[in-house]
Amino acid sequence: MAAIPSKTPGKITVRRVKLERNYERAFWLFMRLSGVAMLFLAVGHMVIQHIVNSSANLTIQFVAAQWSTWGWKAFDILLLWMAIPHGIRGLFNILGDYIHNAGARRLISIVLGVFVVATVIWATFAIALFDSTRF
Amino acid sequence: MQAKLRIRRFNPETDKKPWWGEYTLDEVLRTDTVLDLLHRVKWEQDGTLTLRRSCAHGVCGSDAMRINGANALACKTLVKELGVKNDVVKIQVEPILGLTVEKDLLVDMEPFFDHYRSVMPYFVTDTPVPADGRERLQSPEDRARFDDTTKCILCAACTTSCPSFWADGRYVGPAAIVQAHRFIFDSRDEAAGERLDVLADTFGVWRCRTIFNCTNACPREIKVTEAIAEVKMAITSGRV
Repeated sequence: MAAIPSKTPGKITVRRVKLERNYERAFWLFMRLSGVAMLFLAVGHMVIQHIVNSSANLTIQFVAAQWSTWGWKAFDILLLWMAIPHGIRGLFNILGDYIHNAGARRLISIVLGVFVVATVIWATFAIALFDSTRF
Repeated sequence: MQAKLRIRRFNPETDKKPWWGEYTLDEVLRTDTVLDLLHRVKWEQDGTLTLRRSCAHGVCGSDAMRINGANALACKTLVKELGVKNDVVKIQVEPILGLTVEKDLLVDMEPFFDHYRSVMPYFVTDTPVPADGRERLQSPEDRARFDDTTKCILCAACTTSCPSFWADGRYVGPAAIVQAHRFIFDSRDEAAGERLDVLADTFGVWRCRTIFNCTNACPREIKVTEAIAEVKMAITSGRV
């Protein structure tokens, strides 16, 4: 009877593979990581804005007081960077299941991509440059 | 006891649309399989009923069908599992979804096998055979990594239970990923990179939304969703 090789007893052989770069993989990873991040960011945002401080008290003065510190600005900008691309990529995935025409898919991806980039840039500037002293 | 069967029928030569055929069988046993009942319908009532089956013992994977709304092998599904009430069992049988129906319960499996072939489901290596001319050995731990996925019988119950596959038949589907998994995680195989490139494509593993229909449907109890997740991680990490 042949002996079982004792080269790696109790261990599994891990090999490295070289793969072609692929944006699908990057998006898949982004969806997972942003999902985990939003578990804290989005839930934290809702708890702070609507539960700890009642929704009834949510005024521009309240937001201005928050955005007078860079910590809160950074929190909201990070949430923006996670939420908009995550949501729109999810929408594209669902549309992609049912839209089989390659041209239509490309058109939708361009429209949604422009929307994401424009919204993220515009809103990042809006939050970063917000001047709390005017409220 | 009695069985009332409702079977999805379609003859492309005479029917414009599929229709439901209803058949009643007496003297049915609780231990009869759905395949036994379909045989009785074909042999005793309507010889034109068309279905695929071969071994009739859950090994060949020919008779996957939709039984009471869930994919299963007709030869492994017993009457007593289908909710017997007042000594009557009601059974609805349809062809598996997502593949073109050719006649009654018989579907065109070719798109399914095209996906199977696309992942190179065979052993690939450039390493010469061992000097003693015998097996290429591996440790029990290495063998255990792909043990679960060796159980696949290519019945298509998983792939045709998957909404991503229903929505777009270009998705490679759970069965092909399971078959790829069996070779990707085999320490003796050398084509993992090529298989992972196929599965990293737009219509590869990313179409999986982790809803576990495939795992529920598998008559061999393969942890299909887990195998798909391992392939996703292999693509993401570049390690197998």
